[in-house]
Amino acid sequence: MRTWIYIFFGIFFLLLALASWKSYRRNRSAEEFMLAGKSIGSILGFLTFSAALFSAFTFMGMPDFFRNHGIGAWTFLAFSDGVMVFFILWFGYLLRKKAKEHNFQGVAGLMVSSYRTKWAGVAMFASAFIFLIPYVAIQIRGISIFLEAAFPGMLPSWGWALFMVFMMLVYAEIGGLKAIVYSDAIQGLILLLVIWLIGATSIAAFGNVGDVFAAVEKVNADLLSTPGPKGLFSWQFLLGSMIAVVMIPVTQPQLTTRLVIVKNLASMKKMAYAVGFFAILVITPTIFIGMYGAVKYPDASASEFLSQALLFDQAAPVAALAIVGLFAACLSTTNAQIFALGNELRSLMQGEEKKVMRITRVSLLFFAAVVFLFSTLMSDQLALLARVSFTGTAMMAPIVLLAVISKMPPPKGVIVLSSLALITYLLSLAGFVPETLGGLRLDLWLYLVLFAGTLLIVLVKKSLKTT
Amino acid sequence: MLQRNKLYWKICIAIVLAIVVLGYTPLLIPGGKYQPMILGVPYSLAIGFLATVLLVVLTFIGSRVHPGSDRKEDES
Repeated sequence: MRTWIYIFFGIFFLLLALASWKSYRRNRSAEEFMLAGKSIGSILGFLTFSAALFSAFTFMGMPDFFRNHGIGAWTFLAFSDGVMVFFILWFGYLLRKKAKEHNFQGVAGLMVSSYRTKWAGVAMFASAFIFLIPYVAIQIRGISIFLEAAFPGMLPSWGWALFMVFMMLVYAEIGGLKAIVYSDAIQGLILLLVIWLIGATSIAAFGNVGDVFAAVEKVNADLLSTPGPKGLFSWQFLLGSMIAVVMIPVTQPQLTTRLVIVKNLASMKKMAYAVGFFAILVITPTIFIGMYGAVKYPDASASEFLSQALLFDQAAPVAALAIVGLFAACLSTTNAQIFALGNELRSLMQGEEKKVMRITRVSLLFFAAVVFLFSTLMSDQLALLARVSFTGTAMMAPIVLLAVISKMPPPKGVIVLSSLALITYLLSLAGFVPETLGGLRLDLWLYLVLFAGTLLIVLVKKSLKTT
Repeated sequence: MLQRNKLYWKICIAIVLAIVVLGYTPLLIPGGKYQPMILGVPYSLAIGFLATVLLVVLTFIGSRVHPGSDRKEDES
């Protein structure tokens, strides 16, 4: 298998080097470096958006989610993604309009100029920092554990994590966002190929699709319906997840930015439905990998199951491609998120461009160091932590939505409201606020309060204006 | 043409909203039931898959009839 790994890694690194070389120019402007000159076409656009969205979390987290909690995982992610891509048509149009008005440099900066207070930008940046860092860290952790299993005795898991963070930094610093977009495209295609190869192997192990579910029925029939054997997929959990997923392009800056850097509206619209088709294509095989695990490895830990299903039960070339695919997925997703944080910080700064860029580049180093530190401390609940990240940043959605809808500066009360919701959610994660109130999950309560509160604040502002 | 597109766009929104509402009722996620199996696939998964495909098809249609245009984007 090692020979195959070296061959595929060789090809992958060669493609990355080509992408860096194609993207590198000595005298790039900050906009070229951080926003790829806002000139990405629809194909690269949909691949980069998909790669930033479907990462190691999809490759590793979703099969494990199907294995442990059953077919409700489809509604959790794929159905929610279907709603999200439709929402992009509406939101993306308004966002791009607003971005042109305010010379978009980043979501935080856009909020500062829309609300005319720096606190709107600070709130956006803080939520992105709090929820993206652990999300990136857990992906690095998942893959470093996987690489440790694939190359026993070569490096400890923290060594792999350090290697990935180093690679990510070098690549991002040389190529900027354009190089990241190219690496996303490479990663998206590898991910799709390898996940289908493993999905097909998982089906073939039983015969056909019907045989897969018949085998699961014998082992654990609860996996074939909601809420699943552990009761996770209640309608409340699934609805809350859908809202959080739909808000990803609104509140996760690495994805919001990708809606703006696409060269025109027609390309962005094409990108929306292409991402939807990609979502179906990429999530479908994870059902079969998960069901395969439910029958063959029902009691194994997440990392044991994944190393068996993705590596040791596969033919050598497929296993090698899986390792390279996972490495690529981790690299491009973490790159996208760390780079987005750097860009958000940049959009909050003012002053001479060279100085701002210098600080931004140093901030990338700082974010990468924090991610590395976190990656040595995380658990292996990839899918659940991803949901926490989506839900946490979704608390900021009213700030962005109101900014893109309003022609005038929106009421600042929304910033306070969203920040309070974010703090409440953080307190619930720390165990200081209960997860359910009166039988309703806290995240649904918070969405309700945010919706009603935002509406009230807007109405009060309107009535004060007319009187 | 623009008026007709606006109407189609609103119809798309209405269908998506209906799918979303139904998506969280026992019609799509009947608690603890996986029968009838459709082509060997558990009921919730089969219907959920079809609903997702429908959402993406509606996004494709929506991208054609959405009333926004590059010209309108530039008019800001």
